[in-house]
Amino acid sequence: MAIEDAPLDDKAKRMRDLLSSFYAPDPSVAGGSLPKGASLDAINTDSFDADQYMNLLVQRANLEGLLQKHVEMAAEIKNLDTDLQMLVYENYNKFISATDAIKRMKSNIVGMEANMEQLLDKIMSVQSRSDGVNNSLFGKREHIEKLHRTRNLLRKVQLFFCGKEQFIYDLPARLGKCIKAEAYADAVRFYTGAMPIFKAYGESSFQDCKRASEEAVMTITKNLQGKLFSDSESIQTRAEAAVLLKQLDFPVDGLKVRLFEKLEQSLGGLQVKIGDVADALEESNDEQENDLQLGFAVAHDASVHEFVETVRAYRVIFPDSESQLIKLSEDLITKHFLITEQHMKKRVSTATFLRVLRIIWDDVLLIDHVLPEALLHDYCFKVSQSAIKQYVSSMFSHLLDDVSGAMMKVHPQQNNVAEEQLQVALEAGKNSLLKGSMDLLLGFRQLLEDNLDLLVKLRELITDWVQAGFQQFFEALDTRFLLLSGRIKSSPQDQSLSEGLQSEKISSGLVLVLAQLCVFVEQTAIPRITEARTVPVSCVIFTAASGTVTEIVAFICSTLQHKEPREVHMFVDLFLQELEAVGSEVKQILSQGVRKHRRSESNGSTTSSLSNSLRDDKLRRSNTQRARSQLLETHLAKLFKQKVEIFTKVEFTRESVVTTIIKLGLKSLQEFVRLQTLNRSGFQQIQLDIQFLRTPLKELAEDEAAIDFLLDEVIVGASDRCLDPTPLEPPILDKLIHAKTAETKEQNSSVASPTSQ
Amino acid sequence: MQAGSSGVGYGLKYQARCISDVKADTDHTSFLAGTLSLREENEVHLIRLSADGTELICEGLFSHPNEIWDLRSCPFDQRIFTTVYSTGESYGAAVWQIPELYGQLNSPQLERVALLDAHVSKIKCVLWWPSGRNDKLVSIDEENLFLWSLDSSKKAAQVQSKESAGTMHYLSGGAWDPHDVNSIAATCESSVQFWDLRTMTKTSSIDVSHVRTIDYDTKKDHILVTAEDETGIHIWDLRKTKVPIRELPGHTHWTWAVACNPEYDGLILSGGTDSAVNLWLAPTGSRDEITSDSGQNSLSLKVDPLVNSYTDYEDSVYGLAWSSREPWIFASLSYDGRVVVESVKPYLSRK
Repeated sequence: MAIEDAPLDDKAKRMRDLLSSFYAPDPSVAGGSLPKGASLDAINTDSFDADQYMNLLVQRANLEGLLQKHVEMAAEIKNLDTDLQMLVYENYNKFISATDAIKRMKSNIVGMEANMEQLLDKIMSVQSRSDGVNNSLFGKREHIEKLHRTRNLLRKVQLFFCGKEQFIYDLPARLGKCIKAEAYADAVRFYTGAMPIFKAYGESSFQDCKRASEEAVMTITKNLQGKLFSDSESIQTRAEAAVLLKQLDFPVDGLKVRLFEKLEQSLGGLQVKIGDVADALEESNDEQENDLQLGFAVAHDASVHEFVETVRAYRVIFPDSESQLIKLSEDLITKHFLITEQHMKKRVSTATFLRVLRIIWDDVLLIDHVLPEALLHDYCFKVSQSAIKQYVSSMFSHLLDDVSGAMMKVHPQQNNVAEEQLQVALEAGKNSLLKGSMDLLLGFRQLLEDNLDLLVKLRELITDWVQAGFQQFFEALDTRFLLLSGRIKSSPQDQSLSEGLQSEKISSGLVLVLAQLCVFVEQTAIPRITEARTVPVSCVIFTAASGTVTEIVAFICSTLQHKEPREVHMFVDLFLQELEAVGSEVKQILSQGVRKHRRSESNGSTTSSLSNSLRDDKLRRSNTQRARSQLLETHLAKLFKQKVEIFTKVEFTRESVVTTIIKLGLKSLQEFVRLQTLNRSGFQQIQLDIQFLRTPLKELAEDEAAIDFLLDEVIVGASDRCLDPTPLEPPILDKLIHAKTAETKEQNSSVASPTSQ
Repeated sequence: MQAGSSGVGYGLKYQARCISDVKADTDHTSFLAGTLSLREENEVHLIRLSADGTELICEGLFSHPNEIWDLRSCPFDQRIFTTVYSTGESYGAAVWQIPELYGQLNSPQLERVALLDAHVSKIKCVLWWPSGRNDKLVSIDEENLFLWSLDSSKKAAQVQSKESAGTMHYLSGGAWDPHDVNSIAATCESSVQFWDLRTMTKTSSIDVSHVRTIDYDTKKDHILVTAEDETGIHIWDLRKTKVPIRELPGHTHWTWAVACNPEYDGLILSGGTDSAVNLWLAPTGSRDEITSDSGQNSLSLKVDPLVNSYTDYEDSVYGLAWSSREPWIFASLSYDGRVVVESVKPYLSRK
C-alpha cells in the first residue's frame, strides 16, 4: 500500500504517522485491560474496549469535560475520515497510472523484435565487410614488413663491411700466422669472432675465405689434441688446450672419456699395489722384512701421488667432472677396504690392520687435498666403520673357534674320557679363552690408543663395538657349548659342527667340562675382561646330565612288574649308580677353587627357614611313622604342610647340582606314575623302591625336606593311581630293604668301586 | 576353597586333568572340566563365570561313568562334548549330550550320543572339526587315526576312514589345523606328524621329542606351538621345519600344556609340572620381517618373553583353556582339582 514517492509532503507524512501509530502495537499497553488502572489514553491500544471506555469516561468526567471530549472526538473522527478518503483516492490514482503504463509498454514491445533483427543483420554485414578489407590488405602488409627487415639488415651489413671487410679477407692468412707462432689462443679468438659471419654468408660471398680458414682451424685442432694428450706438456697448457678445443666446438666428451680411462687404469695399478702392501704386511712380521715393507710403502706412496696429480690435472681440464672423480675416489677407498676385509678373513694382527688403516687414511688425506668436494673424510668414516666392525667381529669369531676347538679335541675320544684328559681340556679351554681375550683386548687397546684421525673419531664407536662383541662372543660361546652338549637343535650353518655329535650320545664328561668352563667364564673371566653383562649360563646343561636320570626313571615306570614285589627293582640300582656317577663327576670340576669361594653361601642356602620348619615336621613324622597303611594321613599331612619350593635356583656347587638332579628325577617319577594305572603289586613295588631310595638319596642331597616331600608325593601319586592301594606290611618292607642294603654293601666291598675315588 | 590373589577359584571334588572352553556358548563364559578319579564316581562340571567376573558358578554337575583323560567341548553345540575315559584297564571314547536342565535333578545322567568304539588300543584324544558346524571328528589312539562322521539324530558315529600310524610310533595327542581343515598334527614320542585327512597319509613331520601338547596359532597360518617335557616351548613355522623360529624356556620341570590365545597374536599360555602357569608374549612377526629384518628380530628376541608367572597352584597344572568369548580370560586346572580363572588384562595393557 505504502508506495514511497520521493517528495513527502506534510500531509502525507502526517498520514503515514497516523497510520503507523494506529497499526503499530503499543507495547506499553500490552498488559491488557486493567479494569481501573486503564486510563483514558487506552483508546489507541489493541485492547480498547468501547463500553468500558465509555463507563470510565462517564464515571470520571463531569459534564463539561464530557462535552469537551465529545467535541474533540467528533473533530478527530472527521479528520480521520478525510484522511482515509485521501488515501483511498491517492491509491486509486496510482492504480490508474500503473495500468496506463502497462498498456503503453505492451504496445511498444510489439514492434521491437523486428527492429532488433534488423540491427543484427546490419552488424553482420559490417563485420563481413571489415573481414574483406583485412584480407585484401594482409598480403601487402607482409611484403612491407619483409622489405623493412631487409632494409635494416642491409644497413647493418653496410656498416659492418666498412670495418670488417678487411678482417674477413685476411682471416686465413692471420690464422696461418698464428699457427706458426703457436698462438692458438689468438687464432681461436679470431676464428670464433668470424664465425657468425661465416655462418650467415659463408655460402655466398666469403666462400673461399671460409674454406681456407676452416683448413687452418683443422690444423689448430689437431695440434691442440696432440698437446692435450702429450704427458710432457704442463698441466696448464693441457688445460688451456682443452678449453680452446671446447671453444672450437670440438667434441670434448670423447677426450674426457679417454682421459678418464687413463685415470682408472692408474687406479687399477694402485689397487694392485695396495694389495701387495697388505700381502707384504701380512707376511712380514719379522723385522728383517721391514725394508721390504718400506719398499712397498714407498711404491704405494709414489703411485698415490701420481694418481693425485692426475686427478688434479683432470679437474683443471674438466672442471665439471667432479662427480665422476668423486665416484672414482670413493671407489678407490671402497676397494681399499674390500681388500682389507679379504685379508681379514685370514688372521690379521692388530698392528697390521692398523698399518693398513694408516695407509688408507694417508691416501684419503691426499685425495681430499685435491678433491675437497668429495668429502672423502665422511665417506671413509662410513666405510671404515663397517670394516672395523667386521674386524672386531672376526677377531671374536677367531677366539670362539679357538675355544671351541680346544673343546672339540676332547670329543673324538669321547668314550671313557679319563679325568686327566678332561682336566687338560679344561685347562686348555681356560687358557685359550683367557689368553685369547687378553690378546684381543691388547689389540683393541692398540686400536684405541692410536692417534690416527680416523680412529680418534671412531673411538667411542669402537669401544661400543668391542663391548657388544664381547657380549655376543659370550652368547655365542654359550650356544656353542649347548650345541656341543647336544641340548639344542643346530641351525643349518652349524650343521658341520654338530654332525659328528648328533648320532652318538654325548659323553657326560664333556658336558661337565663345558659346565665348568661356563662357571669359569662367569666367575673369573668376565670380571677380569670387561664389565660386560653376565652371561646367562643356563642350567640347561645340568638337565642334560639329568637327562639320563630321567630316562632311567621312565624305565622304572614302564617296566612295573605285575607280580608281588620280591626285591628292590634293579632300575633303582641303576638310578643310584647314575646319581653317584654324576655326583663324582660334578665333584671333580666343582671342588676346586669354586668350592671354597662358594662354600659359605651354599651353607646358607641349605638351611633356609622354610626347610628348617619342615625338618622338624619331618623328624616328628619319621618317629611316628611306619604306619604307612594309613595313606589318608599323608593326604592330610599334605593338606596342612606348607607348599615346598621344590625348584630353587641352581647354584654352582656340587650339592646344589646333585640335589637339583635328584629333585628333577623324582618329580619326573611322580609325573610318570600319575600317568599309569597300577594294580596292587605295582603300587607295592613303588612303595618298596621309594622306601629304599629314601636313605641314599638323603645322603646325596642337601635339601632333605624337599626330597622327603617328593618321595612322599610319588607314593601318594601311586596310591591315587592304584585300583587296590594296599601297602606292604612294614615288617616285610623292612626285611626287603635290609636284604637289599646288605647286598649292596657286599658288592661295594668286593668291587672297590671305581667311581668313589 | 580360597581363590588366588587375582584369579577366581573353583574346586572340583577329585583330581582332574582336563578342562575345555565351551566355545558354542555365546552368552556366557563357561568351561567344562572332568575329574580323574580311579576309585570314586567321576563328574563333569559345567562351570560358568558370573557376569561381573568375580565368581565361578556350577551350572551343571553330571556323573560320568569313568575317569576322564580327555574332554573337548563341541564348537557348535554347547550341550555336546566328547570324553576319553579309562576304566583302569581299558579305554573308551564317547560323545555326550548334556540333558535339558530342570533344576531339581542334582546329578542327572549324561545322554550318550555316540560311542567311538572302533579303537583297539589306548585312546589319546578326540578332536572336533576346528570351527563351524560339521559332523566330523578325529580320534587318535596309540596306533591309529580315525575319522568319524557323527550323526546326532541317529545317535551313531561311523568310521569314515582309518589309518595306522605304524607300529614304531605311539601317538600321544594331536591338534586340528584351523587354517587347513584337511590337516591334522599328531604327536608321538620323537616327532610331530602331519596327516592329510583326504588321503589319510602322512605328509611331513618335525623331529622333536617328548612333545606333551601342541597347539596351532588360530590367528596366523603355519604357526605351531609345541610344549615339550624338558626343553620348554618351541614355536615352529610349518614351512621350514628344521629349526624352530622361537624357543621359550618353559618351566622348571616339564612343560605340559600350551595354548595360544585365540585373538591376541603371540600370546601363549603354558602350564607345567612345577605348579605354575606362565604367560608368554612371543610375537613371531610376519615372514618378511623375519627374513629381511633379522637384525631387528634378534633385538626383539632379547626382550624377555615371559610376561607373568602365576605360581599360586598347589599341584601340577595339566589343563589350560582360553575363553573364546572373552579372549583375555583363561581357565587353568591343576591336578588337585582346582579350577582358577584369571584375566590377563593387567599384563596386556602394559604393552
